[in-house]
Amino acid sequence: MTRARIAVACLLAAVTGALAGSAAAEDLARGEALYGLCAQCHGSEATGSKLAEAPSLAGLPQWYMENQLHKFQDRTRGEHPGDITGLRMAPMSRALRSDEDLSAVAAYIASLPAHTPEPLLVGGDAARGKELFSLTCVACHGADAMGNQQMSSPPLRYASDWYLYRSLEKFRAGIRGANPADTVGATMRPMAMTLPDEQAMKDVIAYIHSLSE
Amino acid sequence: MIEHFLPAASSYAQDIDNLFTLIFTLVGFWLVLTEAVFIYLIVKFRKKDGQKAEYYTGEEKHLKRWITVPHFLVLICDIFILVGAVNVWYNVKQQLPEADEIVRVIGQQWAWTFVHAGPDGTIDTDDDIAIVDELHVKVGTTYHFKLEARDVLHSFSVPVFRLKQDAVPGRVITGWFKPTKVGEHDVQCAEICGIGHGLMAARIFIETPEEHAAWLAGQRPIALASANTPQRVED
Repeated sequence: MTRARIAVACLLAAVTGALAGSAAAEDLARGEALYGLCAQCHGSEATGSKLAEAPSLAGLPQWYMENQLHKFQDRTRGEHPGDITGLRMAPMSRALRSDEDLSAVAAYIASLPAHTPEPLLVGGDAARGKELFSLTCVACHGADAMGNQQMSSPPLRYASDWYLYRSLEKFRAGIRGANPADTVGATMRPMAMTLPDEQAMKDVIAYIHSLSE
Repeated sequence: MIEHFLPAASSYAQDIDNLFTLIFTLVGFWLVLTEAVFIYLIVKFRKKDGQKAEYYTGEEKHLKRWITVPHFLVLICDIFILVGAVNVWYNVKQQLPEADEIVRVIGQQWAWTFVHAGPDGTIDTDDDIAIVDELHVKVGTTYHFKLEARDVLHSFSVPVFRLKQDAVPGRVITGWFKPTKVGEHDVQCAEICGIGHGLMAARIFIETPEEHAAWLAGQRPIALASANTPQRVED
């Protein structure tokens, strides 16, 4: 009797596992199909394009992608008249018609192999950047710059350097993170403002990039 | 007739609708007439047993009339259309009534930024209200719009105004409108401008002066970032 129960339990577990796996595969396939629109700017491998001013996404976790897509959809991000690239992304996010579609595309991006973009910024001093990073960024983004979901802090190692620079500029100018509904952005904005000048921004970014070398 | 499908909410919308109706009526009349004659002839002279087909060169005077008479009648219709079209073009595009207010309209991939005058009633001052995808105007007020494009060609289209004007990077194009009915309507881009073109929609809010003042009171000025804004060259 006991053996029979164990056998039935194993069978149920196998069937449930197979169904769950099948559903996940379906979600990824759905996400891949939806990603076709994103690929126009972000590239088929989600490695980004400076020409299209679309950052690299490969290596970003699903939770972060979902948060940002929701922000774009809710006009919490990409709503400032000075946010040229954000204004371009916001309507594209609304091409995802349901939360399921949004999660599917975020899951697909998260499933892609991580990618460290080639550095394009010049003039950054990684040694000076290390000091600034340990004072300003490490508390949320971690010593390895791999982010922390509990703090809603994304990994920085896989971000395009020009995108990090542009984002810091936007946070400092109040183009991003000034919307009262963007509570996470609101924590990032004062941190970006602690960097004294453009050189400091380049130094920090050079250090973040050096972590991947 | 057109207003049955789409409200006419600007001072010149009815003139443009009338022109469309004139063209539709004249062209429609000739379309129906020629198709009716064509079908009648096909049926009347269909293949019949024992009757051979004949070939007409159409050079005789009484045959040529089938071409020349309708031709001159269509030309007379063209004159009506031309007079109507030039009249509307002159009143809408060649005239620039004095503005009560000015609004700056900036198109970019894939959003519209509308810069409204703040409480001082003057554009390009520190209290300007810049908003994405929302244009707020007062009914009965004549506006000049200063149209710009940040990146590629766009077209500022307000269907209820019967207004459509291309936006060209590097140029500031001036036009005008005078809203005549309160309401909330679509603004769209009418020039293919990239993969997000179909998503480049905004709303226009036509308000009473009181509603507009209440809206204005709830706004705070937002300085436009200048880094990516092209140099303005007024036309």
